[in-house]
Amino acid sequence: MVEEHHPQPSKHLILEADLMKTIWMKNVRMETGFEKENEVVTGTLTEYAHVKIVDGEIKAITQDESQIESGTAVIDAKGKLILPSFREMHIHIDKTYYSGPWKACRPITKGIFTRIEEEQELLPKQLPYAKDRAEKMIELLLRNGHTHIRTHCNIEPTSGLKHLEVTVNALEKYKQHLTYDIVAFPQHGLLRSNSVELMREAMKNGATLVGGVDPATVDRQIDQSLYTTFDIAAEHNAGVDIHLHDPDTLGAFTFERLADYTKEANLKGRVTISHAIALGDLEGQALTDMMAILKDQEIDITTTIPINRPTIPVPTLDQYGLQVSVGHDSLTDHWSPFGTGDTIEKLNMLAERFRLIDEYSINRTWKYASGGITPLDHEGKQVWPQVGDAADFVLVEASCSAEAVARRARIDSVYKNGEKVILPQSESVLINK
Amino acid sequence: MIWLKNVKLEVGNMVNGGLTETKTETFHLGIREGKIIEQLPHTQPIPQHADEVYDIKGLLAIPTFKEMHNHLDKTYLSLGWKATKPVKNLKERLQFEAEELTELAPTTKQRAKRMIDEILSNGSTHIRTHVNIDPYIGLKNLEGVIEALEEYKHAVTADIIAFPQHGLLRDSMPALMREAMRNGATMVGGLDPAGIDRSIEKSLYETMNIAHEFDADVDIHLHDGGHMGTYTIEKWIEMVEESDWQNRTAISHAFCIGEVPEVKQVELAERLGDNGVAIMSTIPLTKSLPPIQLLDDHGVKVHLGCDGFYDSWSPLGHGDILEKVYKYGQLTRKSDEVSLRDSLKWITGGITALTKTGEYKWPLAEDDASFIFVDAASSAEVVARRPKRAAVMNKGKVVYGSLWCTHELV
Repeated sequence: MVEEHHPQPSKHLILEADLMKTIWMKNVRMETGFEKENEVVTGTLTEYAHVKIVDGEIKAITQDESQIESGTAVIDAKGKLILPSFREMHIHIDKTYYSGPWKACRPITKGIFTRIEEEQELLPKQLPYAKDRAEKMIELLLRNGHTHIRTHCNIEPTSGLKHLEVTVNALEKYKQHLTYDIVAFPQHGLLRSNSVELMREAMKNGATLVGGVDPATVDRQIDQSLYTTFDIAAEHNAGVDIHLHDPDTLGAFTFERLADYTKEANLKGRVTISHAIALGDLEGQALTDMMAILKDQEIDITTTIPINRPTIPVPTLDQYGLQVSVGHDSLTDHWSPFGTGDTIEKLNMLAERFRLIDEYSINRTWKYASGGITPLDHEGKQVWPQVGDAADFVLVEASCSAEAVARRARIDSVYKNGEKVILPQSESVLINK
Repeated sequence: MIWLKNVKLEVGNMVNGGLTETKTETFHLGIREGKIIEQLPHTQPIPQHADEVYDIKGLLAIPTFKEMHNHLDKTYLSLGWKATKPVKNLKERLQFEAEELTELAPTTKQRAKRMIDEILSNGSTHIRTHVNIDPYIGLKNLEGVIEALEEYKHAVTADIIAFPQHGLLRDSMPALMREAMRNGATMVGGLDPAGIDRSIEKSLYETMNIAHEFDADVDIHLHDGGHMGTYTIEKWIEMVEESDWQNRTAISHAFCIGEVPEVKQVELAERLGDNGVAIMSTIPLTKSLPPIQLLDDHGVKVHLGCDGFYDSWSPLGHGDILEKVYKYGQLTRKSDEVSLRDSLKWITGGITALTKTGEYKWPLAEDDASFIFVDAASSAEVVARRPKRAAVMNKGKVVYGSLWCTHELV
């Protein structure tokens, strides 16, 4: 644990503190470059520095301790490594078993429809617990270093806007520690379950993005489904984040149509494909052509790094210039009993899956969890943290980000806008640390 | 007699809303000389003459784990951070390892101890480790690993495999392997008779020869792919048959079984099963997985291992064998209570609390009092949620974590 000192401020400092909140975080370890041997990266260089944070923004970085003004609050990081905090980019906080009693899943007999039918019974039953579980899940994610959460939220006739209310209330409770997006998610099919009007209502009541799911498999109307999705998005000037599990050519065709609609709706750079399973099925020229289509509209991709089917080629997509983010999706619910909420573990899995074992390759994985922010750029130039950056970070017990990912370092503390995230003690520790 | 008070055990199935769930009950277990002697329902009082009483406070007891494929001698654990050096090919990797081995040799015991700590703290009370026997390191790693294991002998049993990482059919390796067998190695290892030794028959023959000479079991690393790999397995089975070495050998990794047509897999599985040749897998994500369920259905013993971790081959990997079952469950989409629960057997040497159909099977009187205590509703939850191991007991002794003993923590 880091030690905090809050010296008694003198009188004139109280006045200053009223205007601006200043803290110094001293003895922070930060990555400053790569160590090379014959042009090959063999290690990461780090230095210790003191960071001044004013009103949630980094105002100075110095190695000169005498610059720390007497009387300001000082936190001693004791040499812990500073890294950008995480963004959880695909989760469903509104329908989890997490923190509730153990329950395995019902065997699937009709694909996604088994689960949709199940939800019509299950969701109303677990609604009374939904807010508490959502809060527990948010707390777990915060503890694990996330300061942004993008959650999908069921919008369908069974739940109406009840899940949205739960989701908004749960996230608002923690707004001091995080930013968030709520994707209005027509889980039972936008058209199939006649959820169009509900979706419009959701967008007026706290949802920030328009969601969707497999226009082919679920709605059986690729064009009409996408058209309606983008119509809602345009009406509310909102981005889109759509679940696409449909495989190979069917998925690819849907991506192409999605890109068409993105262009028509002028939503370049504001559309996400979640899962994008088909990208794991495409190879060679077909994959390159698809990447060009997605890049043209700056469509980004979110993945859970699934291992039960071809994983989408994350490093290839990244090298092409597509933004890829990771998400946990589920931490035990009626869809899957697995999941940890631990993004360092997720990056470790990504490294294993793509055989990233050298210093450089592992160093580069942090960006998939931080919205693209890494301390070093691809050439090893220090680009974070810098004066002017938001003070959103984690302090980690590791010597560099490659070690943090490979050896699954413990996160010591999490800061949002320069403020330490402090939560009640976790009640049950389900995942081994 | 020692008593474990309020231990949760799985006793059968129950059906809730059309779904099978696991029924548990709470018991007191009486232990003498490391064995379970008595099992009482929790409603009955613990006999007055108890020597010691541990209060398990309703935690679930599950069997301890077996870590069945590891390399205690290679890890960097306890040294500083070091990623894997990029190399062009396997030859370069082996060469780099050879250079580094000498550098690492003085710390073998220290590094191995750290690794045993990590493996034990996650619940394994048996470790099968391969140890390099090669012209560069000689028997130095073997000595270090034996010393490390010696310090944990109250907690962990072990198989120590003489492993010719740099090839068996070279220099004076056959003689060095025999030296190792005379100096504490308990099993004979091998490695890619085609890929490394370039002589499938001769390599296997020499391996079996050494096994014979020392009356030892065998565990061979086989990364060789496709039909080259399956031919190697077939040749090995022939030698097992000729030498009557049934139930004494294993093939580690065996990616090749996952790479041949299913008819061939079934044929191999039957012969592996008939000859008691076990398969060890580390659940790789970048290689083909042997068809574990198919092998199991044909009576082949399958065990999992964490493999060597944090060494010159990869900076990744950890000592929690439960993660391997978790990963296997994800890979094969297990999600219902029974299949999750049953998959624990891959890491317990086959022991599960219940049979597949839900009959009580473990623990019974006369079984070793070896348990992992966890806060979980059932073995299925253990596999899916990987709870923290609160304590590990090996033959009646607490070897990791802590339990409440008549009002005080031990």
